[in-house]
Amino acid sequence: MKKYAVYPGCVMPTEQYAYEMSIREIMPHLDIELVDLKGFSCCSEPIKSVNQMLTLALSARNIAIAEKEELDIFAPCPMCHLALSDCKRVLDTNLMMNKRVNSYLTDEGLKYTGTAEIVSILDLLHDIVGIDKIKEKVKKPLKDLKTATHYGCHLIRPSEIGRSDDAENPQKMENILKTIGAKPEYYPEKLDCCGALLTANLPESALTKTGQKLQRVQEQEFDAFIDTCPWCHRQYDSKQIKAGETVAAKLEVPVLYLTQLLGISMGIPKEKLGLNLNLSPIEKLNLGGKKT
Amino acid sequence: MSNKIGVFVCHCGINIASTVDVKELVEYAKKLKGVIVSKDYKYMCSDVGGNLIKDSIKKNKLDGVVIACCSPRMHEHTFRGVVEAGGVNAFNLEIANIREQCSWAHDDKTRATEKAKALVRGAVSKAILLEPLERSKIEVTQKALVIGGGIAGIQAALDLAEEGHKVYLVEKTPSIGGRMAQLDKTFPTLDCSGCILTPKMMEINNHPNIELLSYSEIKSVEGSIGNYTVKVNKKAKFVDMDKCTGCGDCVEACRMKDHVNSEFDEGIGKRSSIYIPFPQAVPLKATIDKDNCLMLKRGKCGTGALCVEACEAKAINFKQKDEEVEIKVGAILVATGYDLLDPTSLYEYGYDHSKDVITSLQMERLISTSGPTNGEIIRPSNGDKPKSITYILCVGSRDEKECTWCCRIGCMSALKHVYLLKEKLGDDIEMNVCYTDIRSFGKGYEEFYRKIRSMNTNFFRGRPSEVRNLGDHLTIDIFDTTTNKLFEINTDLVVLVPALIPRVDSDDFARKLRISQSGDGFLLEAHPKLRPMDTFTGGIFIAGCCQAPKDIQDSVAQASGAAARAANILSKKVLEAEPLISYVDEDYCSGCSTCISVCAYNAIELVKREDDKQLAKVNEALCMGCGACVASCPSGAMQQKGFKDYQLKPMIEETV
Amino acid sequence: MTITDLTSMGESQTELKKEINERLQRLQDEISDYCYQCAKCTSGCEAHKLLELEPHKIVALLKKGLIDEMVNSDVIWTCMSCFKCRERCPQNVAPVEVLFALKNIAVASGQQIPGNYTAMLQSVLSMGLLQEVKNVLTRDNKTVSRTNLGLPEVSKPTDHTKFQMMLSKIAVEKV
Repeated sequence: MKKYAVYPGCVMPTEQYAYEMSIREIMPHLDIELVDLKGFSCCSEPIKSVNQMLTLALSARNIAIAEKEELDIFAPCPMCHLALSDCKRVLDTNLMMNKRVNSYLTDEGLKYTGTAEIVSILDLLHDIVGIDKIKEKVKKPLKDLKTATHYGCHLIRPSEIGRSDDAENPQKMENILKTIGAKPEYYPEKLDCCGALLTANLPESALTKTGQKLQRVQEQEFDAFIDTCPWCHRQYDSKQIKAGETVAAKLEVPVLYLTQLLGISMGIPKEKLGLNLNLSPIEKLNLGGKKT
Repeated sequence: MSNKIGVFVCHCGINIASTVDVKELVEYAKKLKGVIVSKDYKYMCSDVGGNLIKDSIKKNKLDGVVIACCSPRMHEHTFRGVVEAGGVNAFNLEIANIREQCSWAHDDKTRATEKAKALVRGAVSKAILLEPLERSKIEVTQKALVIGGGIAGIQAALDLAEEGHKVYLVEKTPSIGGRMAQLDKTFPTLDCSGCILTPKMMEINNHPNIELLSYSEIKSVEGSIGNYTVKVNKKAKFVDMDKCTGCGDCVEACRMKDHVNSEFDEGIGKRSSIYIPFPQAVPLKATIDKDNCLMLKRGKCGTGALCVEACEAKAINFKQKDEEVEIKVGAILVATGYDLLDPTSLYEYGYDHSKDVITSLQMERLISTSGPTNGEIIRPSNGDKPKSITYILCVGSRDEKECTWCCRIGCMSALKHVYLLKEKLGDDIEMNVCYTDIRSFGKGYEEFYRKIRSMNTNFFRGRPSEVRNLGDHLTIDIFDTTTNKLFEINTDLVVLVPALIPRVDSDDFARKLRISQSGDGFLLEAHPKLRPMDTFTGGIFIAGCCQAPKDIQDSVAQASGAAARAANILSKKVLEAEPLISYVDEDYCSGCSTCISVCAYNAIELVKREDDKQLAKVNEALCMGCGACVASCPSGAMQQKGFKDYQLKPMIEETV
Repeated sequence: MTITDLTSMGESQTELKKEINERLQRLQDEISDYCYQCAKCTSGCEAHKLLELEPHKIVALLKKGLIDEMVNSDVIWTCMSCFKCRERCPQNVAPVEVLFALKNIAVASGQQIPGNYTAMLQSVLSMGLLQEVKNVLTRDNKTVSRTNLGLPEVSKPTDHTKFQMMLSKIAVEKV
């Protein structure tokens, strides 16, 4: 059993409960123990535009909390994962920045030491748990579900920082989906952005980006759209109808978290995976044999 | 021991004189022990300067000379000649480098002059202890090896053969011709590539002085300038070269016909397992590709090998083995060419996603009338004639993540394609060219570019971020910086113009030949301006794209140049070798073989003396005088002539 | 008024340019401003078609030191930080990082912070997270809370005074 401090971030634990529920359900089955720690804060990546120093300091602070417990960190949200990874890279390579950032942590009795590893959802599922283990756990393989994957920009770029998959040809989600019986297919818009970060100041434009991508996915007749990021999922699933309005289209694309689909294939009851919280038309999928 | 030393100080115009007080230095030198005359002159390397030294030697009966001037890399060779002409042994000369190591490095004249004095003081102390040395004679094997049968290798081989030297031309593939043979037309004159190349290929075939070893690779290289021993692996062709008539019946008969990717057609055409790469191949003989031959791979080809049945000459021999041949040459000329960057590494450009994204060399094969489509331009995905073709230049070139350099042929080759495609497909064909800068630097290139500008072509100054495959067509967003607008190009065929890279095996190859590579992996010239065809290894020369990307014009010019450089050696029966090499003081050598491990030239071996003592022994013909063994020797047994410990120590003491 | 119209009035601010470049170097080992204007970034910019962001021009303006013009423009706030420009730049230039620097400078110099950023910042300051824990709707239109769903309490800073003290220190800092 490998142990990780789960760093929930903000969007997942305050509204994207389906992601959190499905993660908490599947991980023990995959021999991953998630430890909840007190005291975490926002990683500040979403407000990096306002003050980047804040992002470095808050990320370091969160890493330091896990380091105090001698735990590695699992950050399910790609945006958090980028913030923490970038912070680690800067602090591990730049002594001056390390000293400066650490000076802010002393009041709370924290210190960034660089001992904790930071893993993303794909690192964890694909590289640490591994395809073989996932294969073992599949009880109800998905039959030829034609899926479009959406990695989320922050999970794969910028590669200089060291991201979870190839920046231009990411395949780990595909590998996992194939393992559980789905049929992921290439589509030209695969690497496009959902626009979520514009929600703060240009929400209409953000939705237009979402709508444009989903419209193309719908045109290409995918059965489902699979993501791993609470920000993206909020756009594609929770706000799908509004996103459709921006591009004058009726969007009916079932959107699921990778972890939800994984849970279904492992035979976990769908209530436990938060499927009741997906607002996109997932009933079209006939998941688990019964109508949702 | 020299005790009549002359010190000659050069001003180097103002290069030295503006920072070092030359007059003061001359006066100082006069007072040094052993010095009987000291003089200065504005340019010591000039004729007048040389005569000044010669006259002083004669007049003062000098037995040693110190020249304070620029780096010995510049003029040591010149001055050795001068000293020798004056009557002093060429190796009783010591250079004090007061330019690169003093005047150029400092501003403060007083302190620079003091440093110059120290350098001269050190040089004089060494000059006192220098011994006269004799150059040894090397008999030259007056034959040449040319590696690589592309246009550069062909030109070099012909030049050397015409000079009367025996030339071995080693080519890795079944035929000579190289990249140029793959091209349809050449820029900017639009000469038919084959038409100007094949006569030269035939000349190679027929020249009495040239021995062509095709389908052969270099196994090892030993020896040094004037005398190289090269082992060549002649790969089995499984076809008897003497019997094969090149009729091609076997190629037609082969069960694998149209099943094997043709290297010559860059994978867009197919060939048989037994093949002749192209109709004008030299030698015009069939070769069996053992990785794809059913008989050789599985020991069985249907009910019997069809090629054997088809061959009237009975030339096919499945039992043929690789053969090792040893050749002895005096000089080696390397012309191994380039590879193309695999555009898959710029995944965003869709080379992996669509058959309709091809490289410029693949387009070259489509355009060629002897190509897989007989010159018909098609979309590889469906065989349709394209209505719109888009070129993307600088794919991986000028790119810090891929190749930092410019490929030097991409712009011109794309412009040439625009012309040829318009000619073939009519003016209706939509031609788009996405460029970063058009580099049309050669003779007639800019004029060619102007001609293309007069044709109906869309030039976009910008680089696409990605190519998207929308099934029935490809789409590209490109921001054009000339109009400040984003254009969405919908196109049928995308042609990527990839970077030129060193041959994939160039690291291994360079190691085998003991020649250097530059940081980019291309083979390194001894001097970028003054010795562009030499390597640092005596007797080995480079030409063409193995040195750096270049066009046909430059490759041919460089090949002829390199051949002339090689002929410098081959035209002499005897070479004089530098005597500044290392030797072993047998009394101190323990036979530990540390020197052997550091020698880059395989010049040292362990031998047994009569009393059974193990000793290191230096092969004088191979030693390049680098000094690595001397520095590594734990007992001081290894010494270098002209740089012996007892000569260097006083020099260091005096200088510091 | 677009960003280019304004530039003709600009004067080069070399000090600010230097500061931005140093800041970028602290964050990114390999950053360069050796841009040769191939505009690969703009060709693929997620915000370009919709909001006219031109990353190659941002870099060109930075190189010329015309920073005020950018800091005063709304255009810098249209970046979605998809990182494609940084990922694909052939010269290791990172327009997205330049934009972060410019936005930080705009905020520090007292420019109006657009949209919800102030509220998000306020929320982080008051409780450590971007937003309050929400109740959400289910597919059958029922409102549920975290607790209803059996999820544990959300992790937040425990000592608010100390946490806020830290934030107030950083608020005036820049990278």
